[in-house]
Amino acid sequence: MPSLASLHGFEGPDTVSQADGNQPAPGTDAMHLKRLDSAIARLANASDLLKATYQPGAIDQAGKVLRSAGGLGDCLDRIQALDQAGIFAGTDWNDPAHLKPVLVRHTFEAGAPDALTLETLSELRFLAVARGDYALETLSAEEAHHFLAQVLGLNLERLFGGGTEVSRQIGDDWAQAINGLFKLIAEEIGYSRIFDAVITEIWRILAQRPIQTDRIKAMIAQLATWSGEASSEQPPSGWGADRLVSALFGPTNECREDPGIERYAERLAAIDDKALSQEATAMARAMHDTGLVSAYHAVLLRHLLQHRRELIPDCLGLSATGRENYGSFAPLIQALAEKAIHVETAQAIYGLSLMLERGILHLPPTAPALWRQLKLNLSPETRQRIAASFGPAPDAEAWLLAGVISVLGQPLGVGQGNNPTCQAARAIAMWSYVDPDYLLQLVTWAARDNEIRMPFEGQPVSSRDLTTALAKGPLVEVDPVSAILVPHLDRIYMEMGRLCAGREGDPHRWINPEMHGWWVARDFDIVVDVPTGKLVDVDGFVRRFYTAFHPHYNGNQPVIHPSPAGIAVTDSAARFVGWHAIAIIRVARDPSGEVRVYFFNPNNDSGQDWGDGIVVSTAGNGENYGESSVSIADFASRLYIFHFDALEQAATAAVPQGEIDDIRAKILSSWGRDRV
Amino acid sequence: MTDYNPDKGYIALLGWSINAIDAMKKFDRRYIVVAPSWAKEYAEKNDIPFMSWNFERLNENSFEIAQMLKDEGVDVAVPLYEETVEWAGAVNAVLLDNPRLLGQSMLFRDKSLMKRRAQLGGIRVGIFEEAHDRDDVARFLRRVNQTLLKQEGDDNDPIHIKAFDLAGCMGHRVVRTVEDVDEIPDSDFPVLMESHLDGWEFAAEAWIHDGKVRFLNISEYVRLGYSVFVPASPELEAMRDKVKAEIEKLIKTFDIKFGFIHPEYFIGPDDVMYFGEVAYRPPGFKVFELLERVYGFNAYQAMVMMFDPKTTEEEIENFLPTPVEDANGYAGCFGVYPRNRVVSRLEIPKETEDHAYFDWHELGEPMETKVSKRSAFGTHWGLVYFHGEDATEMRDLLKRQEEVDFYV
Repeated sequence: MPSLASLHGFEGPDTVSQADGNQPAPGTDAMHLKRLDSAIARLANASDLLKATYQPGAIDQAGKVLRSAGGLGDCLDRIQALDQAGIFAGTDWNDPAHLKPVLVRHTFEAGAPDALTLETLSELRFLAVARGDYALETLSAEEAHHFLAQVLGLNLERLFGGGTEVSRQIGDDWAQAINGLFKLIAEEIGYSRIFDAVITEIWRILAQRPIQTDRIKAMIAQLATWSGEASSEQPPSGWGADRLVSALFGPTNECREDPGIERYAERLAAIDDKALSQEATAMARAMHDTGLVSAYHAVLLRHLLQHRRELIPDCLGLSATGRENYGSFAPLIQALAEKAIHVETAQAIYGLSLMLERGILHLPPTAPALWRQLKLNLSPETRQRIAASFGPAPDAEAWLLAGVISVLGQPLGVGQGNNPTCQAARAIAMWSYVDPDYLLQLVTWAARDNEIRMPFEGQPVSSRDLTTALAKGPLVEVDPVSAILVPHLDRIYMEMGRLCAGREGDPHRWINPEMHGWWVARDFDIVVDVPTGKLVDVDGFVRRFYTAFHPHYNGNQPVIHPSPAGIAVTDSAARFVGWHAIAIIRVARDPSGEVRVYFFNPNNDSGQDWGDGIVVSTAGNGENYGESSVSIADFASRLYIFHFDALEQAATAAVPQGEIDDIRAKILSSWGRDRV
Repeated sequence: MTDYNPDKGYIALLGWSINAIDAMKKFDRRYIVVAPSWAKEYAEKNDIPFMSWNFERLNENSFEIAQMLKDEGVDVAVPLYEETVEWAGAVNAVLLDNPRLLGQSMLFRDKSLMKRRAQLGGIRVGIFEEAHDRDDVARFLRRVNQTLLKQEGDDNDPIHIKAFDLAGCMGHRVVRTVEDVDEIPDSDFPVLMESHLDGWEFAAEAWIHDGKVRFLNISEYVRLGYSVFVPASPELEAMRDKVKAEIEKLIKTFDIKFGFIHPEYFIGPDDVMYFGEVAYRPPGFKVFELLERVYGFNAYQAMVMMFDPKTTEEEIENFLPTPVEDANGYAGCFGVYPRNRVVSRLEIPKETEDHAYFDWHELGEPMETKVSKRSAFGTHWGLVYFHGEDATEMRDLLKRQEEVDFYV
């Protein structure tokens, strides 16, 4: 009988064995090594004039060595020579102290050959520094160690050796080299050490309660494998690991030892009422503790649907509010569960539970709209798109319905995945948050008609006629609702932008209210002069933002609707990275009394370091699940556009100039540096 | 630039060569680059001391640049290109207060004068003549072949024609037939014509200080204009003493006290050496880079050292290696010229890349897909470098490169 962990496909310990991944295999191509040494010598000998001339050849040759057997070890042996010769000179990898672990994954996925080489060499440099083999003034061994642990935590699946779409794209030789690199790093850092880092990382991401949990579940499956192996080496502390592993693979008494789906179903048929009730509450506890749903949970819920419906509220872990909602709409909930919840879609149970807790079924259109969703006929395109992303079972209707339930239950759990579509992801989150029946309408149009129409200032815009989109290929790592909606929204957003061409100023002023809804205020403020990119009236901008949103100056008026805003994202060195769409959800005092902006960031991991000491918090400062927060002053220092209603959000007190001065200084020392 | 040794000379490089500037950046001497104004922006951006000058024909302004460099405090000028050799002569005549240097440089710049001077010095040269038009060339071709007792209908022995004042392979044509003569454009004239010397052609590079050869390299051509390697094979190196003696004759005949010369010779079937020509500047093919690959010293720096009047004996001894003995293997390069008329991309042939001697290449993607017909010994598209332990293998390998396509 297969266990659940094995169903995730990570049974074989051989994929992470202590195989000698760092031992150069005999027969490492002497010819390629000689060429590499020659290239290093040429580069090292060149003055700054000729570095750029010899660098491409050296990078190319290093790439060839990296892709040959034993090449990683050979490059590691030469990493100091490579670095000092100037292999990184003038590239993004030049200064290791400023590199970000979170960017590593993208580089490896993007697959540009030179970038793959430089990224791999960069990790080898960290490795050499961490080992104490290479001393750098700007990077301590501890920092290097920490960096590698983070990189590992963010790329754990590389250790699993599985062939992903991405690795297929970059070619087998590169995929092997990169997987080998991560093995090398893991063995160097020690599995026990990353074990803890991985656990911490998983809990940090889970604290944001994302809808898409596939990657996290894969990580936890890996943890389970390591736990089994770890008995032979030094035991990891493993704090919090048990809860993660048990929540997925053994959340209750009857499935503690991960017996497999069928065995568990048999057991449920045999146990008494008391045991069944315990199963329901234990299942719910695991789910609410972690935000993860075990496939066993789906088995249990389906069993209860058949045999003991009165235990469903326990199985969903509902509070008084949720129970009251369930009681009012039991037939609908049961129909939704019957159709949407399967072993593959178990995660939607969490969405179902939270949807009931939100009470949105009491909004009159919601329940009938969900009945429509239940019997919706999908267009062939929709069916095909879902099957391609999520697999053939259950059917596309079930996948989409499960997705709808998740999005309605966890509005701020929506993520843009690996796609440049933050606008569309933010829109879905905001609709789910304030306008769920409109969202259901959009899903219907998109899934059934394969077309969404939106008026732009009275002029109809149809997604069907449009081809221009931000996302170039199929969407990567998104939930079913996003998979269906985002391609349409993306195109409409681009079209609205086109219709604004020629207008003065930033097009979001018009697009945001037209695209999202009447509740996006029509007054608009921007601190950047669009044609020149220079800052304009910083003091006035900050003052108007405080006046509109800061409870001290706007008469203590809370934010009513989520408010789309744009931020200038900066990296940990406070350098400008790009413009990004977010939504202001709340402005409120945190437990310490500081006024913070709580916002939704559609990227998948909102815990970002914006530099200058500004670190976005996702938990522990009064955040609800899915919210990010920073102090309102820090927020203002990265904000560049916002909407407000001058009549609604009028000044009641003057903003002190001192506060404005501080914020201006933070803008000028970061993204505004070259915009004066 | 601040990190230079004040006890050494202040060097002016005449002509723009990135590799030479790179060498100076790493060297201990103060320097300034004298080059046309198009290089000024790059020089400023890269902290290269720069003086703008357009090297056309020597004229009444020539003294001006000499005076400017003297005022700047420059000790000596080093020519990097054929076109700047006479300028260096003129400038150094002023800087070193030796008017004969100008006349000497003119000898290097005119192949006809050069040959005559060599002949006067007792150096063996082939038959040569000057030509002013195509009739002169046709007559010379006929006369040479008459001398060789060729009959009507026999294949002609070729003759070579070379522009008087261009470097190396530039403007060098091989003429066998009257049709070949017709193809010479008017603009090529006047030219120097030479009989063809069947035999082994090779070049030498001599670093000269105080009238003595301080380092002598023999470069073995595998095919003129295509491929060369250093040091020369043991067979050619066997001639080293003879080569050195010939070069000493050149030094005496041309009254060379310092600098760098790059003569070409033929060895006939009777082991007799014929002088081809000599240049007072670095070779066009990247022999300097090849030398660095096998000996590890920078040949530009060595050249500057030869010119610098403040160089000490000790410095030279420490800097220059022992020829052949100190060489780490053989380094060769092959100049790629597309064999197809239409090409779309660069593709290093597998047999080249898989050969253990292949080192690296500096070829780029084609800038245009149509390949113009190679006139004379036209410019190659880039070099492919090799390094290995055996001279015979190196020679065969370089030879084989002529048979493969780098651009397809």
